[in-house]
Formats: sequence, structure tokens, C-alpha cells
Amino acid sequence: MILNYSQPLEITNLTGWLDSALRSSMSEFWVLLIEFVLVGALLLTAYAVIALILIYAERKITAFFQARYGPNRVGKWGLLQSVADMIKILLKEIVKINRSDRFLFFAAPFFMIAASMMTFGAIPFGKGLHAVDFNIGVLYVTAVSSLGIIGVLLAGWSSNNKYSMIGAMRSGAQFVSYELSAGFALMTIVVLAGTMQFSTMIEGQRFCWNIFNGHISSVIAFVIYLISGHAETNRGPFDLPEAESELTAGYHTEYSGLQFGFYYLAEYLNMFIIASIATTVFLGGFLPIQVQGWDAFNGIMSFIPTYVWFFGKTAVLIFLSLWVRWSFPRLRIDQLLNLEWKYLLPINLINIVLMVILVLTGLTLKDIFGIM
Amino acid sequence: MDSVSKYFSGLFTGIFSLLKGMSVTWKELWTPKVTQQYPENRDTLVISDRFRAELTMPHDENNEHACTACGICQMNCPNGTIVVTSQIIETEDGKKKKILDTHQWDLGMCTFCNLCVITCPSDAIKFENTFENAVFTRSKLVQKLNNEGSSLREKKKEVKPVEPKPVVEAKPVVEAPVTEAKPVVEKKVTEEVKPEEPKAEKE
Amino acid sequence: MAHQIIFFVLALIITVFSVMAVTSKQIIRSATYLLFVLLATAGLYLLLGYNYLFAVQIAVYAGGVMVLFIFAILLTNKPGESLKTELPVRRIAAAVTAIAGLAFCAHVIYYNIKKVTVLVEQADLTPQQLGHTMMGTDKYQYLMPFETISILLLACIVGAIMIARKR
Repeated sequence: MILNYSQPLEITNLTGWLDSALRSSMSEFWVLLIEFVLVGALLLTAYAVIALILIYAERKITAFFQARYGPNRVGKWGLLQSVADMIKILLKEIVKINRSDRFLFFAAPFFMIAASMMTFGAIPFGKGLHAVDFNIGVLYVTAVSSLGIIGVLLAGWSSNNKYSMIGAMRSGAQFVSYELSAGFALMTIVVLAGTMQFSTMIEGQRFCWNIFNGHISSVIAFVIYLISGHAETNRGPFDLPEAESELTAGYHTEYSGLQFGFYYLAEYLNMFIIASIATTVFLGGFLPIQVQGWDAFNGIMSFIPTYVWFFGKTAVLIFLSLWVRWSFPRLRIDQLLNLEWKYLLPINLINIVLMVILVLTGLTLKDIFGIM
Repeated sequence: MDSVSKYFSGLFTGIFSLLKGMSVTWKELWTPKVTQQYPENRDTLVISDRFRAELTMPHDENNEHACTACGICQMNCPNGTIVVTSQIIETEDGKKKKILDTHQWDLGMCTFCNLCVITCPSDAIKFENTFENAVFTRSKLVQKLNNEGSSLREKKKEVKPVEPKPVVEAKPVVEAPVTEAKPVVEKKVTEEVKPEEPKAEKE
Repeated sequence: MAHQIIFFVLALIITVFSVMAVTSKQIIRSATYLLFVLLATAGLYLLLGYNYLFAVQIAVYAGGVMVLFIFAILLTNKPGESLKTELPVRRIAAAVTAIAGLAFCAHVIYYNIKKVTVLVEQADLTPQQLGHTMMGTDKYQYLMPFETISILLLACIVGAIMIARKR
């Protein structure tokens, strides 16, 4: 059942109007060209703006966890602090390193930013706010996000600095191992949802989110996905590639100015991407909270625009990630690999089999309670 | 079998301890903030009495201080921060007497080591906790501590017991409680300071 | 029109970076140029509408094989050093081999070009179709090769563990 309540705040009204206006005045080719350029520009802007907001939120929440106030001087409550930082980083000199491989040194940040940008495009932000929707969406996201690690490795090597090199190697080992369990956790849900496409996956979660639908198995997959997502983005207790006490700043030690800004931006955006994919796959994406049968309640809930729901759910997950980050001490490299290969991966493999059994024997909540 | 049970018990105790850690940080999130919002909270700002920010020479209501211009503070200062200039005058009964002309202290050179206050035999100087000492030119950092037209406080019997009190406050170094005997205090002080002096000279 | 332009851009990238990957004197640069070639190939798949092949190409080659290549290069002795030019005999031998390979490939492509165009027409491949093809036992279904390859990979893993294990 598709609900057809009026949703006046939905962005589809605006985009639909724009599309029909363009189509009425010019040919197909130019309409497509203009729309592609618009979507690209919007995505880039959203990328930068979300990064700025995330940096501010991270600093503020970090401060609250440490009983401080955080940035509170630039603008009201320090709201303009990250804008000021951005301007500073744009104006800084790009330092050239002697005896480093100049070409690879300059190319490395682009891998990082391109990888996270391509993943960013595949995120469904709301109804009609979904740029890339392949029928293999989950696979696409896992594939494209794995490009970033090449940027890290090349950065570490071309910096001509042993700390960068060690940081890059650690990062590589960490990423390659944890990508595996992140992929498996997503595959568990693909088994449950029966599709890899994000849009159909979201439609299927209208009345029952995947995390509830597959109960035990889904919750385990969710936790594993969050842990390995953390590890993939080199954050939280898994930030040993840039362990500042041992390696100054890890692979981006030698970078300055805008190039450092790229790494910084990509790090924050990767956090956002992990959170938003978890939202999409496990928590019903941009759909509002709906209960089958409670039509009045559903109507009120779907009055809130879908992008608000999406960013709300993502914000909760980002807060969770910050909470974890400021609770746990950094892992050693052997502990990190132990966690992946001895705990997460075996649990994941058993979990995927368990999910198959749940789906085949009809023990998911949708089957038990007959939810659409 | 043993290793299997170890694996699972390790797994579950690990999860439990992680959740416990997260509950601790969750409580920490809601604790009141300890940051001092400095320029705004000037009125309510609490600075420890022991904080050494500015050397002062206390004057009483008759514009009298206790400095005898002996120059011990100047000698003890490791950086040459203090310059005491004195002059010799003749009192009414014909005795020659050294009185303080200017007691000059350079904030810019001071390391706030407190040696001058500890060694002062007549407790004429002390450190205050007024910390807002920033100025725009370096010459303003050189301060004259004695007031214009001030003079040495005459030694009176009844004033004396009052004086040692600030001594106790200014010298947290002295372990023994100072009560009446002043010479004892001075001895102790000199004993304590002596081993430090050569160090300072070497530097 | 747009397809044509994109195709020519990708073809140019593939050709230029293949040549650069072979002629570059630093091994890490070669690896990077090879990565560009693989990415552009993935772009070609995307242009043809083979989404699945595109994702697999990126995940396996760019994300997996290239990371291993770079790791291996970083662990070798002096990865930054330029290579010396080889002996003329070897260069001639390499050139002959390369031309032979090119001739072979050109022959195969030339005689199969019609079949390729036929295959491209039914492009839109869903993961469901793909899964059934991979796991089925009927005609044009490939359970047997799939499992054979997985056994081969398993053997590789066991072998690696045997080599790495402490005695």
C-alpha cells in the first residue's frame, strides 16, 4: 500500500516543476545536460556543507563529552567556527616536499575525495533526492568506497616519510580487513530484503525496518556494520593509522592547506556515508515511522518531509559514532586484526547462514505478523 | 573445550565492559561544564590565593611599608628582576639610616619563583593574584613598587605580632607552624633557600 | 552523441595510460597508471549498461588487486628507484611477443565482433538473473565452474596458511 497523503514540504514538488519547465522550453539533450550539471553541483555543495556541519557537530559533541563548551567564539555558539576554519585552510600554502613523488603526492587526495564523492551520490537523501540508483546499489557502494584506500596508500608512499608510510600500511591493512565484514553485514540484509537496489530496499521497509524484520540476525549485522564502518573510516577507537602519539598524523602528515582539507573532508564525509548507508539499509532510510493500520498516525508522520527523517536518523547514528569514539581507548594493531579475523568475521559468516534460515523458514517479523 | 568457553566468555565480558564504558561517558555528557568563560565571568572568577601574578609591596593606611632597603631580594633574584635603590639619610637623633628610594621590579623578566618573598627579612613584599598584566609596551612592565612619598614603618612592639601573619600565608614552603619566635623563622628560611641559590647562578 | 564522446574519452584514457604503464620507469607509477586503465575499463562497462560488471571491476581490480599490488610494491626493497633499460635482445623479444599478442587479440576481436554486438543488445542484467545463472545447473548456467573456482581459491588460502604458519 502506497500512502498518498499530501506532502507539501517534499522536495519532489520543486524538482518536478523544474523538470517540466525545462522540458517545455528545450530539447531532450539540453534538458538532460542542464539537469546533470545541476545535480552534480548540488551534490558537491551538499558535500561541502555537510562536512562543515559535521565538523562543527563533532567538535561540539566532543567538547560536551569532555565537560567543555567547545567552539563558542565565532558567531552565535561558535556556529561559524568551521566556516572560519575552511577559509583558513583554503588560504594556506600548499607545501612542496623535497624528493617526494610529486605526481602521486598531488594525485592521492583526489582518489580519496573521488571515492567518497561517488559513494555520496548513491545515498538516498529523501524522496526524489537520489542521484545514483543502480540495481546493484549495495555492491556499487562497497566497490566504490574501496577506492579511497588507494589514495591513502599512495599518500603514505609519496610523502617520502616513514611515519606516513607506516600510517598508510596500517590503514591499508585495516581497511582491507574491515571492508570484508562491512560487506558481509550488508549482504546479510540483502538476503533479508531480496534486493540490492536502495530504492526498493527502502520501499520494503515501510512498515517494518530491516533491523526489526530480521530481529537477532539483523541486530548483529547492524552492530557489526557499525563497528567495521568505524574501522573503515579510521575513526573512533580504530584511529591507529593516524595515531598522533606514534605517527604524528599518519598518512597525511606531509599534507597542508587544501590537500589536507581534502583528507579532512573525506574523513568526515566517510563517517556520514557510513551512517547514512546504515540508515538506508537497516533503519528504513528516508521513510517516516509508520505503523500498519494506524492511518492517522501515519498521516501525521509522513507530513514531516522525508529528508528530515533521513538526516534525523543519520544524526542519531553519527552521535553514536562520536559516543563510541570518546568512550574507548585506541586499539593496538594486533588487537584490531584479532577483532576482525577472530570475532567479527566468524560471527558474520554464522549470521549470514542464520539469516538465510530465518528467511527460508519464514521466521522474520513480516512473515510472523503478516506486515506488508 | 576450554579455549571455546574462553572465547565466548571473553566475547561477552568484552561486550559488557564496552557497554559499561559507554554508560560512564553518557553520564559524563550531562555533567556540568567546567570551562571558565573568562572575559565574561570576570566578576565571579576565582583565582587561587597562591597564584603568583604580580609582586606588590603592601602599604598601610599611613602610606608606610616595611621595606628596609636591605637588598636581599635583589641579591636573591635569579634573573636580576629587582633593582632596589636606597639613600642614606640622617635621622633627628643624628643616626645614619638607609631608607628605600625606589623598589623596581620588571614583570617581563620575572619567573615568579617567589625567592624574593621567601627571603625578605621584614616581609615587605608579596605576590598578589591579580593576573591581568598585559600591556602594550614593554617599558610599562617595569614597575615601581613603593608608593610616592611612602616611608618605613617604625618598629613598634604591638605591631610585631600582627606582621608574622602574612608570613604564614606567603610561605607555604615552611612546614613548621610559625608562632612567635621570629628569628627562628628567618633561620629556617635562609637554610632552605641556600641550596637553591647556586643553581640559579649557574643558569 | 554523448555515448560517442564518452567512449572516445575512455578509449583515449585507456590507450594513453596503458602505454604509460609499460614505459614508466618507476614501478609504483606503473601500478598507478594501470589503475587508471582499470578504472576506465570499468567506465566502459558502465557505458554498456553492465552495472554489475562495473561494480565487480572496481571492487576486485581497483579495490582488491591494485591494493595488493601497491602493498607488495611498498614492501619490496627500493620501490622508488628508476629501472635500468634492458638489453637490446630482450627489448626485441618483448616487442615481438607484444606484437604477437596484439595480432592474436585483433584476430579474435575481428572474427567475433558480430557476436559481441548481439550480446550487447540484451544488456540490462538484474542481480536475480545473474544469481540464477551463477547457481543453476541448466543449459547456460554455471554452477560447476563457479564451484570449481571457489575450490581453487580455497586451495590457495590453505596453501597460504601452510606457508605462513609457524613450525
